[in-house]
Amino acid sequence: MKRLTLKSAVAALALMAAAPTAMAADLVVGLRAGPDSIDPHWSTVGSQVEALRHVFDTLIDVDEKLQLKPGLAASWTAIDDTTWEFKMREGVTFHDGTPFTAEDAKFSIERIPEVTGPMPMTLYTKYVDSVEVVDDYTLHVKTKGMAPSLPNDFTRLFVVPSETGMEARNEEFNSGEKAIGTGPYTFVSWQPKGDLVLKRNDDYWGGATAWENVIRREIPEDASRVAALRSGEVDLINYVPASDYLAMKNDGGIDTFLSDSVYILNIAPSVKDEEPQPITINGEPVDGNPLQDLRVRKALDLAINRQVLVDVVLEGLGTPANQLMPEGFFGYSDELGEREYDIEKAKALLAEAGYPNGFEIDFTCTNNRVPGDSVVCEALAQMWSRLGLTVNAQALNGTVFFPAAAREEYTMTMSAWGTLTGEAAYTYGALTHTKDAEKGFGNFNRSGYSNPEFDRVFGEGAQTLDPEARKKLYEQASFIAMEDRALIPTVILQTVWAADAGKLDMTARVDQETRTYAITPTQ
Amino acid sequence: MLSFFITRIAQAIVVVFAMSVIVFVGVYAIGNPIDVMIDPGATQEIRQKLIEQYGLDQPLIQQYWTFLSNVAHGDLGTSMVYNISVVDLVFSRFPATLELVLVSVCIATCVGIPAGLWAGYRPNSIGAKLIMALSVLGFSVPTFWIGMLLIMGFAVELGLLPSGGRGDVGSLLGLPTSLATLDGWSHVILPAINLSLFKMGLMIRLTRAGMVEAMGTDYVKFARAQGLPDRQIVFQHILRNISIPIVTVFGLELGSTLAFAVVTESVFNWPGVGKLIIDSILQLDRPVMVSYLIMVVILFVLINLVVDLVYARLDPRVRLKGGA
Repeated sequence: MKRLTLKSAVAALALMAAAPTAMAADLVVGLRAGPDSIDPHWSTVGSQVEALRHVFDTLIDVDEKLQLKPGLAASWTAIDDTTWEFKMREGVTFHDGTPFTAEDAKFSIERIPEVTGPMPMTLYTKYVDSVEVVDDYTLHVKTKGMAPSLPNDFTRLFVVPSETGMEARNEEFNSGEKAIGTGPYTFVSWQPKGDLVLKRNDDYWGGATAWENVIRREIPEDASRVAALRSGEVDLINYVPASDYLAMKNDGGIDTFLSDSVYILNIAPSVKDEEPQPITINGEPVDGNPLQDLRVRKALDLAINRQVLVDVVLEGLGTPANQLMPEGFFGYSDELGEREYDIEKAKALLAEAGYPNGFEIDFTCTNNRVPGDSVVCEALAQMWSRLGLTVNAQALNGTVFFPAAAREEYTMTMSAWGTLTGEAAYTYGALTHTKDAEKGFGNFNRSGYSNPEFDRVFGEGAQTLDPEARKKLYEQASFIAMEDRALIPTVILQTVWAADAGKLDMTARVDQETRTYAITPTQ
Repeated sequence: MLSFFITRIAQAIVVVFAMSVIVFVGVYAIGNPIDVMIDPGATQEIRQKLIEQYGLDQPLIQQYWTFLSNVAHGDLGTSMVYNISVVDLVFSRFPATLELVLVSVCIATCVGIPAGLWAGYRPNSIGAKLIMALSVLGFSVPTFWIGMLLIMGFAVELGLLPSGGRGDVGSLLGLPTSLATLDGWSHVILPAINLSLFKMGLMIRLTRAGMVEAMGTDYVKFARAQGLPDRQIVFQHILRNISIPIVTVFGLELGSTLAFAVVTESVFNWPGVGKLIIDSILQLDRPVMVSYLIMVVILFVLINLVVDLVYARLDPRVRLKGGA
């Protein structure tokens, strides 16, 4: 962990050196979504976390590729099977001048279960058994059983001063009274769905940022956000729609920034003994569930032309996927080759499985969850019809889709999944592990997939503290689930930002966050 | 008069009650909001605890009863997304919608009625035909598209007006409104025009139809025979006689625009209630959906009441009786 600390110190120095040369300037950003509250312990929604990072710091931070780096905790180590030790950064003060200590971190961990809402942050503290302050700068966290992923969970654990009080109400945060953090900006004002106004914190421990005043304006409508940039009302926008991307790329007045996202569109075929919506041939239900046959799932996979999905359907804003996470994530398997497209082989496999003339199947997707989900859905139905299947594709609003998917009413679905923590346990534990309420695995396994071999390897990984050994096991688990076609990944979605030409430099992030403090003016 | 009010209030209570049942059952049928909101990483245990915390495991009747008794105590619920009371949330955004709608209704009336009168007064003139053609455009071209054209023209190409948002908010008679500042007016004008086009088309057609009909009636002929100037005939006699359908439609339009100005609000990023309700539906924020729709019903009842009172004022033959 020493090296990490050193790295961040160097980064901080570099920032400090850069700050005086950058003239005080203001930045107005047009964003698709903003926070729902200023209470940093209220909700796990991505746009909420992204916004509050400007005012509050987390114990552990993540870089552009979602790998861990120090935040308010300068270093962390597992000192035994059920205890993690966190060393706090020294010399950090809150916006009101009180110094930050381990007591504040303890308070923040304990406040979460008291105040969190229907998008619960308890998710990040579920392994915490008790918290102990050893001295002002040392914190011991006792976990329920072994918890190797605790540092990942703490990347969204915001720290508020212990004087905040357990009972502090949402309104007190929204008014600014309690909106006191250690972050790079101080809170000025906010209205639900309106502007979040921020002022630079000149005493920030990571070095003061380039922009003195920042306005984060919420403009959910894509076309309006683009118009706001083009009319000069905002300097930078996120989530540029695919239809505008090409025009902007060729426009000298606008700079674009592009990154893979954590979101991958995955197909989930139900492998239960009886499929929820009947699969039929000539209107007659088929005996058994064809999707239980690996050859059928492989045929479905082989019939997908991912390059066409990327180039034609997504207008270039995507990357073919061969597993549930992008490259570079903790547990990404290098063993898995690129998914091939071979319609003849697919037909042969389908015939071998006993369906030479295909079958009729329902296929349900989301239509507003991520850009491109409904068009990819339609394209997949067409690709499978070339295989000889009759596919009844239906793209539904998330409001309808998710509750019905949770009730496991669909035979085959497609929706986006984002590995928000940057490591495999989050994704494979929820999607492909056998459903097991006691261990807390398989919560989003709606297809009924269950492979004892996968469960064993994954379970072993979840009980291994050594990062290298754990990584190996997760890679192996990823490999097993993907070879089994437990889920069929299609494309990684990409995100685009656009700014006035020559105004700023930014590194596009895989988690799609627009961190204003990491953006620098063009020299 | 008194019995009229009592009947109206009784009717209103029945309507609100019926609406609350319909909305509640409808929202219940969609499914569990926790499944829409919850983070994928949550365990079954966390999910179960939340469902219990929000009382979503209770039977429908029980949930509805809890809701009713809370309403009886003046509590319309707290948003599951914003953690703010629904009343505060709606009223923090209502002034924005109100000012937008008022300006657009003013534009629609000030342009629509005179244009309609002219089109009916000289139905065969070129001007009248032009007005009618434009009125067809007004309610057949989608607002979304006109909105984008207005933004492209006035904000992006000409750079005269801002592309969206509400601008500086001043204070007028103690109410926060952007109509108190010049910057606010520059923000409100484009969305207000966009929102007014449909209503303007409607006003023109209604006024024209009434006007054409009235021009051939006996009272107009008599007035003319009497030697009254046309100006006096049109504004004092005809306008008053053809006002009833105009006022009716005006009232209905006012209500529906206040409640559902969604498209214009989205295109111009106007922080009004229309956008709030759409977002709440997408996120299945139950308390906001249910309470907002009930508030809308109350709003409609109030507007209709005012419309009835205006009828009586315009036409002495209309009597405000119980059961009217």
